[in-house]
Amino acid sequence: MKTMQDTDPTLRRRMRRAWIVGLVVTAILAQVVAACGGAATEPPVAPPAAESEVPGEEPTAEPTVPPEPVDIELWAQATVTEAGAPPDDWIAYDIIRERLNINLTYVILPTGGDGEAVLNASAAANELPDLLQMVSAANDPRSTLYRLVQLGLLAPVDDLMPLMPERVATHYNDPLLLSLVTFDGHQYGFPEPPPLPRREGLVIRSDWLESLGLEPPTTLEELLEVAVAFTEQDPDGNGLDDTYGIGGFIVGQGLGNRFDFILGGFGVPGVWNFTDPANFGLNVRDPRYPEAVAFFNRVVEAGVVDPDWPTLTRDDFRARWKQGLFGIMWEDFAALSNQSNYTPFDENFPDGAWIPLPAPTGPEGEAYYGVYTGRGQIFAVSQRAADDGKGEAIARLLEWMAEPEGYYLLGFGEEGVNFVLDEEGNVSIEGIDPALAWNSAERQPYTQMRNQLIFYNTPAEINARYPTYQTSNGRTMEPMMFLEFFQNQPWVDGRGIQVILPPANAADFDRFYNEGLMQFALGQVEINEETWAEFLAGLDTLGAVEYEASALQALQEAGLVP
Amino acid sequence: MQLLGAGIAKPVRTSGGYQPGRGTAFARAIWRHRWLYMLMAPTLLYFLIFRYGPLWNAQIAFKDFRPLLGVLGSPWTGLQNFEAFINSFYFDQLMGNTIFFSATKLLLGIPLAVVLALALHETWFARYRTVVQTMAYLPHFLSWVVMYGVMLTILSPNNGLINQVIESLGGDPIPFMRSPDWFRQVVVVSDLWKETGWSTILYLAALLAISPHLYEAATVDGASHLQRIWHISLPGIIPVVVLVTLLRLGHILEAGFNQIFVLYSVPVYSVGDILDTWVYRQGVLQFQFSLATAVGLFKGAVGLILIVVANRVSKRITELPLF
Amino acid sequence: MQQVRTRDAITYQILVAIFLLFVLLAIVVPLWRVVVTAFTPLEIYTRQGAPLFLSPTRWTAAAFQQLLGHPLFPRAMLNSMIITLSGTALSLILTIPLAYGLSSHTLPGRRVIMLLILFTFLFNPGLIPVYLLVVKMGLTNSFLAIILPPAVGVTNTLVMMRFFEGLPDELKEAARMDGANELQVLWHVVLPLSKPIMLTIGLFYSVYFWNEFFTPILYLTDRDLMPLPVLLRNILISASFNEYVEYDAFSTSALESLKSAAVLLTMLPMMLVYPWIQRYFTKGTLLGAVKE
Repeated sequence: MKTMQDTDPTLRRRMRRAWIVGLVVTAILAQVVAACGGAATEPPVAPPAAESEVPGEEPTAEPTVPPEPVDIELWAQATVTEAGAPPDDWIAYDIIRERLNINLTYVILPTGGDGEAVLNASAAANELPDLLQMVSAANDPRSTLYRLVQLGLLAPVDDLMPLMPERVATHYNDPLLLSLVTFDGHQYGFPEPPPLPRREGLVIRSDWLESLGLEPPTTLEELLEVAVAFTEQDPDGNGLDDTYGIGGFIVGQGLGNRFDFILGGFGVPGVWNFTDPANFGLNVRDPRYPEAVAFFNRVVEAGVVDPDWPTLTRDDFRARWKQGLFGIMWEDFAALSNQSNYTPFDENFPDGAWIPLPAPTGPEGEAYYGVYTGRGQIFAVSQRAADDGKGEAIARLLEWMAEPEGYYLLGFGEEGVNFVLDEEGNVSIEGIDPALAWNSAERQPYTQMRNQLIFYNTPAEINARYPTYQTSNGRTMEPMMFLEFFQNQPWVDGRGIQVILPPANAADFDRFYNEGLMQFALGQVEINEETWAEFLAGLDTLGAVEYEASALQALQEAGLVP
Repeated sequence: MQLLGAGIAKPVRTSGGYQPGRGTAFARAIWRHRWLYMLMAPTLLYFLIFRYGPLWNAQIAFKDFRPLLGVLGSPWTGLQNFEAFINSFYFDQLMGNTIFFSATKLLLGIPLAVVLALALHETWFARYRTVVQTMAYLPHFLSWVVMYGVMLTILSPNNGLINQVIESLGGDPIPFMRSPDWFRQVVVVSDLWKETGWSTILYLAALLAISPHLYEAATVDGASHLQRIWHISLPGIIPVVVLVTLLRLGHILEAGFNQIFVLYSVPVYSVGDILDTWVYRQGVLQFQFSLATAVGLFKGAVGLILIVVANRVSKRITELPLF
Repeated sequence: MQQVRTRDAITYQILVAIFLLFVLLAIVVPLWRVVVTAFTPLEIYTRQGAPLFLSPTRWTAAAFQQLLGHPLFPRAMLNSMIITLSGTALSLILTIPLAYGLSSHTLPGRRVIMLLILFTFLFNPGLIPVYLLVVKMGLTNSFLAIILPPAVGVTNTLVMMRFFEGLPDELKEAARMDGANELQVLWHVVLPLSKPIMLTIGLFYSVYFWNEFFTPILYLTDRDLMPLPVLLRNILISASFNEYVEYDAFSTSALESLKSAAVLLTMLPMMLVYPWIQRYFTKGTLLGAVKE
């Protein structure tokens, strides 16, 4: 084949020149295109209100509408990350401009560490947007809020609350949450309602119990026995040694939220002692804690836990229970039983079934399911926006989002097109084209704000999001049943944790804490009086005492502890 | 220019023609090289703006940076930020792990890449070479997020490929990813697997620049394959190898954040936690703007010392210093 | 090159071939897992994960369809191509003259320039200082914020410099005798001889820009400017965060399949481009240039 090597050098040179010129021209053109493209996609500036098409007879809540539309930039995370932002011709943008006289720019922040890095960088450059979500990779938005307030980058919003009566009544009606966002007597953030409380719990494969003739366990020892049976006695009857008793992964401090029920059986769930306010401190100081960890170590040594549990991600964990790898697990009720999440499991195991388990009791008869922290999203207004006088417009926007028009539009879509309301006011998709249904894949970009700014856990929402359905073998599956069961279990009210700020050496402290407990749990370090005392002493070297003192002080100031 | 007998010129050290005290001679030298200066001008401008500009902003490492006060207005704190992390609880371990990973990847990675480049260069079968080379560099494009999933299927104690083999031979499954005894090997080997093929691209390009006449002459003189490699191929790529090694030494404290972050977990913190993962946990979560910057400068200082020492060594052994 | 087919040579070739075979297998086996996962149908994946081998009748391209059919995909692809092409072009335009200049050992101040450049290589102040600069220059929300700050890689420059150093001086001197200025020497003499290194460094820059996702996340808020890696990254990390969502985004493909397919899609351009470039990587590109 004739290659470039074979052709005339002059021709080669000319061809290369052409290439390079071509590349450079492309590069320049590309910049021009990108610049034009960028400009063209901004929402067109609306004409002054005097010439707008807002019908004159429409009852307006605002008697005086300023002539120029206000530009508001909103940064929030997406409800469904991979679906992307709504297109620029989204009807909501037009309605917001016409009704509220606001040009809304909605920017979706990436989740996790990426989003926090973006927020971090923007804060450093004093370029925060007008209305923004307190993104936190560690799920501690209040900490983020606190830091930004200290840096003077956020504006107090006391004056804006009276401007949004509807929203305050539906979204900002929890005094505890409001106190969390109040510093020096001023409110600095909008504490959105947390997701449904106490929505996670323990579940077990009832079909496995049946096939082995076992009863659901009520104590931790019984749970261990059942787990052993699940691991060794082939409960799925396929002749393969491919099952484990318990499955889980690490999320949160120490041994994580997913195994907190074990610590709860010893009366010491979570990091902090919220069960006995008079003796507030780190739970690890409680003599029952090492016993709990020793029990956990027994469970691990018995080989009944999916061995990848320390390194697993949430996705892998979910893939595994759907593959029928283990029989006892801690899971979110929706992640377990909602139709779209349950269907893959159902298809694999039509006769498989999960039933909820009550909190197992420990040797002293204690039982706690876990610690409820009640963390919700927090939104705030940047000081720059307040200085530009945009506060009132922001309040208008937020209020509209709580009124029926905004609520349904941003939460579900257009009535009659994406959803319908039945007689009881519940949202349903009867008679709706499946591709246009509010919970279809195509519609996800249009309701990205729903979990962050719109929903506030009304019964109608819950019925819409977690409907009852039929499994493949005709059983009725009711996600709400799981939710109610979980919510009725004994939980520790740990909402006070939100006022506790991480210490200056948080990374070191957390690592020592987590690593130490993990080593005991895995048996890398034998757990006895000596080693436990060493562990506690190590924590003290890292400032545990000071940490506890400042935590107690924060709780007392917030009135959460006598 | 001296020819090393390999078609490769060995640069002779000159001092660039600068003679102190002879102003007009210096000016003349500059005028003679005016075209080079003009060619380099845009790039040097780039360096000024986009490399030294941020370094100017990097002074926040010595300050308590407040966005409202800006870079200049924020108060000085001297070395406080540096002390904070140098005196932190895990500093020694972090440095140890970081240097371990970096040095091991360097010491194993470069020879492996060179050997692979030589093998690819030596083979007669052109198609075979293309196939192997194309396959070899593809892993470079796998993100570690995906690699994690693949590695889990290979290394998991629960039916991972390797453990299946171990169990069939009668052994106990080894939890590679979460065992402090194995994690380091896992990290190094997976990094070699991922990056070696990509590194060979450069060395192969270097090998291809060597004139075939030299090989022919050597063969005529009766040189064996290994002698040809030793006397022709290796000297041909030594300049590039030395350069890459020196530069990587300058970045000795970059141990591969993306990889470690995806692969590590609490049980292996003791061997897997590196400077960057610690900074991520501490800095990102706390709006400590100055911390990451301070660590960046610290890394640079360590790298500088290393590269100066290595450069001197290189000058003595290979006569190929960087500066 | 003359291939002397002695027995020694053949043995040698076989050894080399076996070594390469090992390398090939070591690479292919894990890669194969990724490929298999990308094509595994959802039903099979939920049952047992990705199998060792896919049966010829039970595989699906659903994961690829879902990615390619994503409404944002075409635009993201276009953005990525613009960023990669213009970024690579700009980077080469800036890198080549500097490398060439530094390769001249008689250049006054060469050492100083080299040290100044190395200094920036060693001391990378990180995210915030660069961000502050870019914002002050008003480059946010444009591709320039992505291609300008990293335009010149010090490693790439120095490697290129080494190559230029290795070119025989006689050619350049001959051109200079003929009255050519340095630009002409560079253009007419040096560059034609430097194809392998040009293509290599160009490839390095291209790959960097093609895969870059963090700076776009940081600087581009306009969703129409989002390049491909950001789109893919959203998919790669998304399910971990869809904790409270009643809608399962991956109803047609398993998440692992989508991740694997996304990564393979990223690989695809390189698999196509590199063999094409390789044609230029033939042995002895100095052949005929130096009179011996």
